[in-house]
Amino acid sequence: MHRSDFRYKGYAGKLLRVNLSAGTWRDEPLTNELAEGYIGGAGMAARILYDELKPGIDPLSPENKAIFLTGPVVGTMIPTANRIGLYAKSPLTNSFFHSSAGGHFAPELKFAGYDGIIFEGKAPQPVYLFIDDGHIELRPATHLWGMDTNRVQLALFEELGSEEIHIAAIGPAGEKLVRFACVICGCRALGRGGLGAVLGSKQLKAVAVRGQGAVEVPDMQRMKLFLDEIFARFNANPATAEILPRYGTPVMVNANNSLGLFGYKNWQDEFYPDAEGLSGDTMRKKIVKRDKSCFACPARCGKFSIGGPGPYEGVRNEGPEYEDIFSLGSMCGHNDIEVVSAAERLCDDLGVDAIETGVSIAFAMECFERGLLSLKDTDGIDLKFGRADLIIPVIEKIAQRDGALGSLLAEGVKRAAEKIGNGSEHFAMHGKGLTFAGHSARGMPGFALGYATGPRGGSHHDGRPTGERTGLVPRETIEGKGEYTARINHLMILTDSMILCHLTEGIWGPLDITDLVVRCLNTATGMNVTLDEARTAAERMWNLIRAFGVREGYRREHDRLPPRFMEEPIKSGPSRGMVISRQMLDDMLDQYYEFRGWDKQTGIPTAERLKALGLEDVARDLEKYR
Amino acid sequence: MKVIVKSFANIRDVLNTGELLLDVAAGTTIGGLFAFLTERYGAAFDRQIRDQMSGDIVPFLVMINETVYRTTTDLGVSLTDGDAVTVMIPFDGG
Repeated sequence: MHRSDFRYKGYAGKLLRVNLSAGTWRDEPLTNELAEGYIGGAGMAARILYDELKPGIDPLSPENKAIFLTGPVVGTMIPTANRIGLYAKSPLTNSFFHSSAGGHFAPELKFAGYDGIIFEGKAPQPVYLFIDDGHIELRPATHLWGMDTNRVQLALFEELGSEEIHIAAIGPAGEKLVRFACVICGCRALGRGGLGAVLGSKQLKAVAVRGQGAVEVPDMQRMKLFLDEIFARFNANPATAEILPRYGTPVMVNANNSLGLFGYKNWQDEFYPDAEGLSGDTMRKKIVKRDKSCFACPARCGKFSIGGPGPYEGVRNEGPEYEDIFSLGSMCGHNDIEVVSAAERLCDDLGVDAIETGVSIAFAMECFERGLLSLKDTDGIDLKFGRADLIIPVIEKIAQRDGALGSLLAEGVKRAAEKIGNGSEHFAMHGKGLTFAGHSARGMPGFALGYATGPRGGSHHDGRPTGERTGLVPRETIEGKGEYTARINHLMILTDSMILCHLTEGIWGPLDITDLVVRCLNTATGMNVTLDEARTAAERMWNLIRAFGVREGYRREHDRLPPRFMEEPIKSGPSRGMVISRQMLDDMLDQYYEFRGWDKQTGIPTAERLKALGLEDVARDLEKYR
Repeated sequence: MKVIVKSFANIRDVLNTGELLLDVAAGTTIGGLFAFLTERYGAAFDRQIRDQMSGDIVPFLVMINETVYRTTTDLGVSLTDGDAVTVMIPFDGG
């Protein structure tokens, strides 16, 4: 068992820094300053990358760095404390990006004695990293290059002589630098932001981890009492006790569609009359065989599926999740859940983000129907909405950068629209280069502000739809939405630093950092953080990430929504007529910047605010950008 | 008066149908409808809408015809004869 001398429990107490160019590595002790100021996960990675990356570097160059990082609660028995984060400058958004996944990889890394791994440089030949309980090897991966993510994992189980190993791997899309390539851990995706392409650019095919250590907590009795409380809360709450275990995230298909908040045909509308075919109910009836949990989570929201009789018979998948159903189903105008499941499995195997992939196909479908793409541009494919049979062949083209269509879409919607032109930018549904997830902007103004200001752009984990979708706050007004969104930002970045799963935010939040979150952190680490101190730490992290974006050129004018969300009201369903006009967005931006103490003209954090958060060095850096 | 309860997922499982026609007293409110359903379907229904620790109905949206209401503020809203009430499942996350 690894014993850490680090001041705080919960942490393994060290990072592994791997120089892929030189083929060397070394342990780096975690510092008190990093843990106290930035906790772990996204916050800690933001600090490291802010300090170590020069502004303006190409995200797919050796100058970029990729960090796998856990958080201090990961690997304990605290429910949902199982997530691994991956962090780098994104080839989609050109700014700091974080993506996380559940499963078992993160606890295993802690058990192997590391809080995280920093990869820098570029390997001269394909390699994979093997961490075996503190023993490190960089091994050749030429024989794995070209394999899909499932085959890589199976091959490494055989090569390393055990299935008790957890693996994060890229597929062919990462190798071919598809800008939204992802990383697969088991069956879970570090999905968004193209971080798989960053690993591909470094010729890093996989990371394999095995550990037999433990995560120490400061006071086991205190931890047991906390676990009693938190498990009781999970068992009492309808979402975590009843709904997630039975239907998982696909329950939101009917929930969102009933409200008219379900993106349909590239967001031309938000109500899909035939959505029942994609619903959690239909999925459970047709393809779900059993429920699956991530490490230390009682929610069992994972759904293991097998395709029934027909063209996709026998296709096995952990999923699809709600976001896959939205992107690969409704957005493309069809309601065949078996196609969605097979398509999502293919996305995972080839290593592309299923959200970005589905939305890219939907964008191309609209371009084709409007005559902006010809049959020549689509390699002869009649790319119309509703053609469920085309989804899988187009995914293969994208992941392999095959032909004109694959090459075009592999660059992401933003760059594809810039190339196509002719007004296609109007319905290129991305924020800062990242396509929007399956949650409405037009029907939830506070969430729209979260999309617009989010450092990741189209992510549904910077702002959150939950407050407005459950009626905790009214969705008919923009009043108060600046502060509302900022407080949710802070809850997100703190939980992304610990790292806890947002799917159970009803327990942990969902509108602000709560005493429960702070007690969770203190119980795992032995810190004595107050609620106010936790909120300040979260605000510090948020401002640091904003500053990263400022260095890369992001300003107020980039905190926007696509014209479709600002000019075309929702056409049908219960949210018919809702839209976020430019004026509404500008009013909310003013509220948001004012609450944050940011300059309203530029959106740059003021020096005073940065200094108050302990970011004096960042305040000095940003002087030249004002 | 007659109202139709539309539901999906867990609540549809409990009601055993996606559209349930009910005869309820005139003036029944949204909260009164939940009490009626809890009386008829017992804990199986209650567990879908109420936090069993706090005893409170959790936040979610309810649609009467095409108008959206909130359990946080609108449990006292009265139903009228012929209303279709869609119960949005109380779900966080996503």
